[in-house]
Amino acid sequence: MMIERIELATPDRRAGSKLNLEGLTKTFGAGAEAVQALAPTDIAVTEGEFLAIVGPSGCGKTTLLNIVAGFETPSGGCAVLDGRPIEGPGSERGVVFQQGALFNWMSVLENVAFGPRACGVAPDAARESAQAMLEKVGLGGFVENYPYQLSGGMQQRVGIARALVNDPAILLMDEPFAALDQQTRELLQEEVRGMWRETGKTVLWITHSIEEALFLASHIVVMTARPGRVKAAFRCRFSESPDLLVASTPEFTAAKREILGLLRSESEAAQRQESMI
Amino acid sequence: MSRTDILAEGEAYDAGTTERKATRRDRWLTGTTFLAFFLVWVGVTGAGHWPPLIRPIFLPSPLAVWQAFLALLEHGYQGNSLWYHVGISFYRFAFAFSSCVLIGVPLGLLLGMNRTARAILEPPIQAIRPIPKLALLPLFLIWFGIGNTSKIIIIAAPVFPLIVIAAMQAVRSVSTKKIQAARCLGAGNWTVFSRVVLPACLPGIFTGIRMAISIAVTMLVAAELTATSDGIAWMSLTAAEFLSTDIVLVGVVIMAVLGFSLDRMIRAIELRIVHWSGHE
Ligand SMILES: Nc1ncnc2c1ncn2[C@@H]1O[C@H](COP(=O)(O)OP(=O)(O)OP(=O)(O)O)[C@@H](O)[C@H]1O
Ligand SMILES: [Mg+2]
Repeated sequence: MMIERIELATPDRRAGSKLNLEGLTKTFGAGAEAVQALAPTDIAVTEGEFLAIVGPSGCGKTTLLNIVAGFETPSGGCAVLDGRPIEGPGSERGVVFQQGALFNWMSVLENVAFGPRACGVAPDAARESAQAMLEKVGLGGFVENYPYQLSGGMQQRVGIARALVNDPAILLMDEPFAALDQQTRELLQEEVRGMWRETGKTVLWITHSIEEALFLASHIVVMTARPGRVKAAFRCRFSESPDLLVASTPEFTAAKREILGLLRSESEAAQRQESMI
Repeated sequence: MSRTDILAEGEAYDAGTTERKATRRDRWLTGTTFLAFFLVWVGVTGAGHWPPLIRPIFLPSPLAVWQAFLALLEHGYQGNSLWYHVGISFYRFAFAFSSCVLIGVPLGLLLGMNRTARAILEPPIQAIRPIPKLALLPLFLIWFGIGNTSKIIIIAAPVFPLIVIAAMQAVRSVSTKKIQAARCLGAGNWTVFSRVVLPACLPGIFTGIRMAISIAVTMLVAAELTATSDGIAWMSLTAAEFLSTDIVLVGVVIMAVLGFSLDRMIRAIELRIVHWSGHE
């Protein structure tokens, strides 16, 4: 079996977890206007796992990631990274945004060197490691350019390099490739897959694409419609396959069908919610 | 490097050359506008070769204005040289304007960053803003006398809130995403301000400053309306009383040149510093 259903928040997994979310809830607003974005959510992520989260639009995926990043505070429950409760943003959590988070007033090199410099590394040493990281993501020739002079795909590479150069304990990515064209997206997916296999970083990856989740992730969480919580979780082995064309195998299609089935009913529920508003 | 990326780079190059061509075309069109304007002026005033369509007392010919300018250069106006009048006006304008920028921009940034400061200072500034500042002129004359102080203050009165609010709005509209990105890269408050918020605000601040220039030039005329006996706007205003339209026009052109060249100067500085303008 290439995918199998598992429980994500067993005591066992919790015990050795890198990131532990326990009964996490989030409600925006108060009184009659209150919107519950997250129902109690329990997820434990072990070091080195690549956890992809899929779910219908508006189910609270971004909210979940923002809590882990420290941009939002949970209304209930707690989020713990490496044994320490998360309070506010920190450089041990690298975030890659969908788009528009690069600093257009700095060169590509300065963008990537920003993190190390903010963390107290001397400017020259920071630029050196930024240069090395940019070469790794294939942008060695564009260090002097400004972000707005680059294509969308290149900008996302800069975003990834900028998050990686701080060597964070966990990478948080909120639909990082959603705004890219199909070809660029597939290419970057292959690169991220290679990078993850090489570095073994812990990754939390939000996506709308089931194929992307199956291709990249070691674990997949399917969330319910709002208020979001874990509907099902899977261990996924396609990302371990050396075959880049694994997406065209019958097993892949079967796995996709299984997750799509789960997601379909939730998307319909989400649609009904929206039409009620 | 992927194919798509290489293509995108090629596009960027093309965009560069077409942009340069477009700029040249824009310059040419601008020049044509000025030339057309000038020719119409020559046409309706006759230039000495045909009878003027508009009598010189209402619109003197460009040549007459030029001669008035030369005469003013030589003999001055009402006991002072032309340069003295230009200088005193420029002093009032520049003092008022640069104080507004030097104090207004930091204050606006503070208001944008700090909720408490905003709660204390924003309502009074917003309340003062719609008052027609010209109505305060008599009051300023009583408070600050007929010297330069009251003139500087009347110029600063509308310019200051405009610059403060432009800077504050610029801070308020900095994308949260960029601030979040900086925070999760390990940046503290000072780094977020100096390397993210401040540069992100610059386009908005420059827009505010350029808007303020035309208002400041207008207020210069208001400042020299009464209780003075020098200044370029005062020269125009008193010349009008004697129907010396040529001298009026010399003053108008000098003020127009002042406003226009300041705007160009600040635009040039802006283009140099804010190269990413339009790319958020
Ligand atoms: N700051 C906020 N104030 C009020 N409601 C919010 C806020 N942020 C999110 N919400 C609401 O919470 C719910 C979950 O939002 P969230 O952005 O987490 O969804 P999502 O799963 O990321 O959706 P998508 O897939 O479309 O990106 C939505 O109904 C949204 O309207
Ligand atoms: Mg989202």
